[in-house]
Amino acid sequence: MIQAFYLGWRYLAFHRFKTAILVTSITLIVFLPVGLRVLVNQSSQQLTSRAEATPLVIGAKGSPLELVLNTLYFRSEVPEPLDFAEVTALEATGLARAIPLYVRFRSRGWSIVGTTLDYFEFRRLRVVSGRQMTMLGECVLGSRVADDLAVGPGDHVVSSPESVFDLAGVYPLKMRVAGVLAHSDTADDDAIFVDLKTSWVIQGLGHGHQDLTRPEASSGVLRRDDTNVTANASVVQYTEITEDNADSFHFHGGLSRFPVTAVVVVPPDQKSSTILQGRYETVESLTQIVRPVTVMDELLETILTVQSFVVAGAVIVGLATLASASLVFLLSLRLRRREIETLFKIGGSRAAVGTVMVFEVIVVLLTSVVLAGGLTLLTREFGSAAIRAFMRM
Amino acid sequence: MKPMIHVEGLQFRYGEGDFRLRVRRLDVERGVSVAFVGPSGSGKTTLLNLVAGIVPPIDGCVETDGVEVGRLAERERRRFRVTRIGLVFQEFELLEYLTVIDNILLPYRINPALRLNGDVRRRALELARGVGIADKLGRHPRNLSQGERQRVAVCRAVLPRPALLLADEPTGNLDPANKDKVLQILFDYVAETRSTMLAVTHDHDVLDRFDRVIDFKEFQEG
Amino acid sequence: MSRSRWVVSLVVSSWLLLGGCASPDDPERPGPGEGNDGLTVYAVNYPLAYFGERIGGDGVEVVLPVPAGEDPAFWSPAPEQVEAFQHADLIVLNGAGYAKWVERVTLPTSKLVDTTGGVRDRLIGIESTVTHTHGPEGDHSHGETAFTTWLDPTLAVDQAWSIAFELSTRWPASVEGWQERIAEIEQDLSVLDASLQQVFSERRDEPLLGSHPVYQYLARRYALNLESVHFEPHEFPDDAAWAELEASLARHPARWMLWEGEPMAETRTRLEELGVTSVVFDPCGNRPDEGDLLSVMQSNVENVRRAFGSN
Repeated sequence: MIQAFYLGWRYLAFHRFKTAILVTSITLIVFLPVGLRVLVNQSSQQLTSRAEATPLVIGAKGSPLELVLNTLYFRSEVPEPLDFAEVTALEATGLARAIPLYVRFRSRGWSIVGTTLDYFEFRRLRVVSGRQMTMLGECVLGSRVADDLAVGPGDHVVSSPESVFDLAGVYPLKMRVAGVLAHSDTADDDAIFVDLKTSWVIQGLGHGHQDLTRPEASSGVLRRDDTNVTANASVVQYTEITEDNADSFHFHGGLSRFPVTAVVVVPPDQKSSTILQGRYETVESLTQIVRPVTVMDELLETILTVQSFVVAGAVIVGLATLASASLVFLLSLRLRRREIETLFKIGGSRAAVGTVMVFEVIVVLLTSVVLAGGLTLLTREFGSAAIRAFMRM
Repeated sequence: MKPMIHVEGLQFRYGEGDFRLRVRRLDVERGVSVAFVGPSGSGKTTLLNLVAGIVPPIDGCVETDGVEVGRLAERERRRFRVTRIGLVFQEFELLEYLTVIDNILLPYRINPALRLNGDVRRRALELARGVGIADKLGRHPRNLSQGERQRVAVCRAVLPRPALLLADEPTGNLDPANKDKVLQILFDYVAETRSTMLAVTHDHDVLDRFDRVIDFKEFQEG
Repeated sequence: MSRSRWVVSLVVSSWLLLGGCASPDDPERPGPGEGNDGLTVYAVNYPLAYFGERIGGDGVEVVLPVPAGEDPAFWSPAPEQVEAFQHADLIVLNGAGYAKWVERVTLPTSKLVDTTGGVRDRLIGIESTVTHTHGPEGDHSHGETAFTTWLDPTLAVDQAWSIAFELSTRWPASVEGWQERIAEIEQDLSVLDASLQQVFSERRDEPLLGSHPVYQYLARRYALNLESVHFEPHEFPDDAAWAELEASLARHPARWMLWEGEPMAETRTRLEELGVTSVVFDPCGNRPDEGDLLSVMQSNVENVRRAFGSN
């Protein structure tokens, strides 16, 4: 029997191109529905676990899905902002902890997340290299960001301008990396965290420059009276916050009107959560309160429906491919008829000749199944990372 | 001693077709070379097949090397064939996906009655050297000339040291130079091993090398 | 010492040294308040630290990281000190724009207590500061607010209560007996208020000078006719400053100037030549070398009483 295996193997090796095509086709049709199922399960798990870990989110009225995806996954679509006053108002109710997020800006493709230190405690994120940010202009990197940009504590990242055509708008801020977070296998690995006030500086709501009340800054003065100095456009604003110029940074206008994209709401108990939801759902306001779990469940339902269609399609394609593969095998046997006759003529046993002939089928099928299994294992291993990379796009 | 081949009262036909083969009596002694000649379709190849046990007779007796192969079960016929009969075909019938050495060793891979071991491999190498193809052992048949291919086929046929060689137009596709080489190899084997050879041939130039020439017409019963 | 004892000592001391050192990056190293049995409270100035210590009692460790001799209102912490603030259980802020560094650092908002957050309507804006805008239509930068709020004992009581509320709400078990302690503080501040009322009432409408604009809440509380200059205790004012003072005296003929600390002898003499007596009224923003907030305030009262009495 081993000798017959040898002959079968030589046949496959001689027809490696045909064998490769057969193996690839069958591997794919076996892997597609299985791999898709694994991927969907993993993404469901990820989406669900992240959503379950986030009790409530408040944002401006609009698409709940966009709000949740931006808040939980730092997606690039930026929801309408709401005023920071909502955060203080929520804190004042005493019904929940309010953690503001401002997810709007990016640096080399990675989201910049403006927030407070409470976020790190809430998500159980810890700094594994360097230290936590302490002053304006510093940032803390998610592990994947640090790896991708090859930066660490002491290095700098620069925020990307929102539009090259809007020179008077958001301009790049050079931020010092204070620390790098431990790998958490969540979307937090893909973010650059800054103090909320730093994100407002990036937007231009806060800045630093020379003291305009001093005589040496006269070239930057448009008009001066007893109570106010009006600066002209030539005033150079600092693009980096350092220990030397940090004292000059300030904000114009009231902080209560400054923007945040979402508020993560952490009520201490179910009763507080219910009261809060009731308040936000009944008041005619420009804000909405959503339960990420509910939003994600709806999304997953859609995904599962799509998955069903895709799997059905894959099964149909798979059957067609298997039929084609069977045809190939049958044609192959027909083409080998003379070989079979010769083998029988020179005394080949039925078992040996049969083994040689079906060896191709068995090896192709087995190899395909093993490869599909291997791909499935890889999907299980790296699928979550792939999902998060896809979510970043 | 019994003749190598004894045929008596043989009747054979393929399915419901018109072809009929009848042989009243044929005996071939051991150690001789016999050439079958005759018109195409007269049943020469069929008789080889019957002698080899490839097909069983409808009626009559076909004894090969003392065994009535027609009465054996198919499995036993194959076993008999692979151990005691060497076959050489006009179209060589090599396996395109095997190398020369693997083609030579083929009988030892397709029936457990033959065991492939170091001694067999050594003999295979010697045979290859003897027929002048030792430097081509790793090549595939598509990279060989017609003559080289037939030499490989002959090595395959004689490696198990069969007592009987059946050659169906062994030189039919060869040029004169190769024809001589291949025939010489066959006759050398027969002489060295005192085995018996039955060959079907249309080539009248080579008939005088055989011990006996049988015109197939005389074995057709009217 | 024998050679073997030397080796053993070296090994043991190295071991102890290494064991005592932990890299700043070591995530297992507990920060202040973490891994300790008691609470850790960080304060931005001494009055708040004082209140925290009295209210918290043994269950609370209060930290004021400002070095001695520095004015906490204008001190800036190093990053390591900001980290220490971050690890505290509670961070007590004065509010009213005190310690501008607070606006430029990252602190956990859930641990912050703005002790004047509930009395914003009683804070005093400084009208003489100059704001700026960018372009004619731009928003103004913020004007300043007077921040030595504790110099009004009634505001100090509110600040103390703010601390008591946070400690008792968050960690009731750790601050048992806080009600008695806050009551004692309230009583002490009431006594201080009465003393200040009494001592200032003697010269209520008389012009007073402040060496620095830090006495706004004191002036408002006790209806003082007080104007401020910018004199430093350890610097002799320049001619322009003296000229400005003399012009001010012509309009506001003050006979006493309140100082945050003991002025230079020359300054004191020059002022006396102008008919102005120097009176030390220490706001006590940082921890005193001796005594505590109340004893410093009591000294302030005595200083004023002596100065007013002698004139």
